[in-house]
Amino acid sequence: MNESLSGAPLLAVRGLTKTFKERRGWPIPKTVAVRALDGVSFDVARSEALGIVGESGCGKSTVARACLRLITPDAGSVRFDGIDVAAASAAALRALRRRLQIVFQDPASALDPRQRISDALGESIKVHGIASGNDVTAAVLRLLDEVGLPPSAARRYPHEFSGGQRQRIGIARALALGPDLVFADEPVSALDVSVQAQILVLLDELRHRRELAFVFISHDLGVVRHFCQRVAVMYLGRIVEEGPVPAIFEEPLHPYTRLLKSSSPIPDPAQAVALDLQEGEPPSPVDPPSGCHFHPRCPFVMERCKVTAPELKEVAPGRRVACYLFSDASGNGAGAVAARQ
Amino acid sequence: MSVAADLATGAASQPDPAGPSLIVEQLTTSIRIERQWFDAVRDVSFEVHPRETLALVGESGCGKSLTALSVMGLLPEGVGRISSGRITVDGTDMTAASAAEAQAMRGDRIGMIFQEPMTSLNPVLPVGFQIAESLVEHRGMSRRQARQRALALMELVRIPAAAQRLDAYAHQFSGGMRQRVMIAIALACSPKVLIADEPTTALDVTIQAQVLALLADLQRREGLAVLLITHNLGVVAAVADRVIVMYGGDVVESAPVSEFFARPTHPYSEALLAAMPRVDRSADALAPIPGQVPTLPDLPPGCRFQSRCPLRIDRCAELPPLIPLAAAPAHGVRCWVRAP
Repeated sequence: MNESLSGAPLLAVRGLTKTFKERRGWPIPKTVAVRALDGVSFDVARSEALGIVGESGCGKSTVARACLRLITPDAGSVRFDGIDVAAASAAALRALRRRLQIVFQDPASALDPRQRISDALGESIKVHGIASGNDVTAAVLRLLDEVGLPPSAARRYPHEFSGGQRQRIGIARALALGPDLVFADEPVSALDVSVQAQILVLLDELRHRRELAFVFISHDLGVVRHFCQRVAVMYLGRIVEEGPVPAIFEEPLHPYTRLLKSSSPIPDPAQAVALDLQEGEPPSPVDPPSGCHFHPRCPFVMERCKVTAPELKEVAPGRRVACYLFSDASGNGAGAVAARQ
Repeated sequence: MSVAADLATGAASQPDPAGPSLIVEQLTTSIRIERQWFDAVRDVSFEVHPRETLALVGESGCGKSLTALSVMGLLPEGVGRISSGRITVDGTDMTAASAAEAQAMRGDRIGMIFQEPMTSLNPVLPVGFQIAESLVEHRGMSRRQARQRALALMELVRIPAAAQRLDAYAHQFSGGMRQRVMIAIALACSPKVLIADEPTTALDVTIQAQVLALLADLQRREGLAVLLITHNLGVVAAVADRVIVMYGGDVVESAPVSEFFARPTHPYSEALLAAMPRVDRSADALAPIPGQVPTLPDLPPGCRFQSRCPLRIDRCAELPPLIPLAAAPAHGVRCWVRAP
C-alpha cells in the first residue's frame, strides 16, 4: 500500500465499521443509527506520525477508540504488530495496552482532580509491574523531566498547572508504560498558539527519541502538516483521501480536501482564505447522502456520484483517493479539476 | 474577488463622514483578585469606523475579551470595573451612562456575538422568539411585527427553510446555524457596532469560512463597525482592516492589516507568527515562545512581555510607550528595542 511500509506495518486497520444506535426524539423516541465508521482502512509504520483530519462528526475520534478497543467495532480488523486487537484475551489486551496509549484533548478532564501527579503517573507503572517501591518515584521523576516539568510537580495536583503543563502531564502518563504507538486526539486544540508550539516540539522530540508512532487526530491542517508524515482525510465515516504530507497539502486531489485546504486561514492577507458565500452544511451522519457522502457539496458532482460511492484507489505511489474524477485509468481527473479552478 | 478583499478596498475608498462608530480612549479595566485590584487592560485606545473591522488579537488572559465586556458595559459587578478612560458608542458616552441607558444601548446600537452559540442561546425558547425579543424590547414592536422581522432576519443570515424553523429550538440547529441565529439576534435592531468575540472558534473550518463571509457581507450592507476578538491570525488576515495585538493587558502593536503582516515588529507579534503551524508551508521548525503568560498578580512592572522576550534590555523595567514607526505612522509599536 505504501513503499515506506514494505515491512509489516505496526498498526494495520482494515474495513473498520461502527454504527451507534441512539434513541432520539420526543415525545415518541425513535431509534436512529449513526454510522460513525464505514469501512476505514489504513496502516501506520513504526515511528511514523499519521494524521487523521476531518470536521466534527466525521468519525476521527471513533477510529482511535475502536483501535484501542475502548469500543467494539461492528466489523473490520485491527492488527497491532501482528496481534489481532479485537480477538485478544484479557491478559493479552493488558499487554497490548502497555504498547498502545492515548493522549486526550482536554487534560483537565482526563486527570483525576484529587490525585497527585506522582500517583497519576505512578499508578499504571505499579499496575503493570514495571517498577515498585522507590523505583516508581524515580520513574515518575524521569517522566516529568522528559516532558519538561520540574521534579516538584510530582507532589502537586492537576488544578495547580496551566493548560500546557497539564497536557505535558497527559503526555507523561501516556509515556509511562513505554508505548510504541500513541493515539493523540486533538492534543493541542485547547491550547494557545505559543503553548501549542511547545507541545508540538515536545511530541516531535519524543517521536524521534523513543521511535514512537503516532495517530494524530486533528481538525487543524496546519498542525497536521507540521507534525505528520502521512495524512488521511475523513468525511462522514469514510477516508476520502490518503497520502504523504507534503504532496497532499501541495496538491490535494479530492474536492473535500481542496475545500478543507482553501478554508484553512493563512496569516497572510495576500493569500487570505477564500470567503465565498458558498452554502453547504456538512450533512448529519445520522442520514448521510447516498453514494459519495460529499456529493451535495461537491462542485464536480456527476450522476454516478449520487448512486454509488467511489472506492479508495491508488492514484500515485502511496496516494489513495476516493473520487470518480481520479479513478479512471485515463487519469484526466486532475486536468478536469485544474480546469475548473 | 473575495468578499474580504472587496471589503478592504470598500472601506478605504469611502471614508465615512460621520466619524467612528466606536471610540475607546485610554481605557483601563481592573479586576479583583482576593481583595486586590489589578489592571487587566491598561490604557487601550482605538476607533472603529463604519464598514471597518478592527481585530483584537492575543492569547488567553491578554485582556481582549475584557475590553469587549467593558465596551458592552457587561463587566461582572464587584469583580471587574472600568478604572479610567472613556468609551463612546455612536456618540453616546457609555462610561457616563446609567445602568438603564447602557441597557438601552445594548442590543440596540451595539450587538454582540459570542464564541459558543449553544451556551448563549436559551435552550427552552424558540429561536424566532429570541430574535424577536430585542425588537419588542427596544423598538416597541408588536409580537406579530417582531415575528415577521425575525423571519426576514433569518433569511438575511441565510438559514435555509427559515419559515419552518422560526419555532425550532437551539438544539435542533447545527453549530454553524446556531451562530447564524446569534448573528440574527445581534443584528435585529440594526446596530452601529458589532462586537464579535471569537465568533468562529467553535466551528469547523469550512463553516468558519461561511460564517466569516456572511459577517463580511452583512457588514458591508448594514455599514457595521466590527470589533473582532480572536486568537487566530489567519482569520485576522482574511477579514480585518486593522489589527491590535495585546499582551498582558497592554496594546503592544497596532497597524493596518497588510502593514502588520508585512512588518510584524513587536517581538511578541513576531513570536506569535513564528509559533503558528501553517497549512501553506512545509515544516520549517516551529519556534515556540518559551515559558507562559504570567498570571495577573505576577506580571512584571514595565513591559509585560519582558519575562519571555529574547530582546530584553534593562530599560524594559520601564513601560515603553506605543510609538508610531517613522516609516509607517499608522503602525504603532510598544517596544524600547524595536521602536526606540
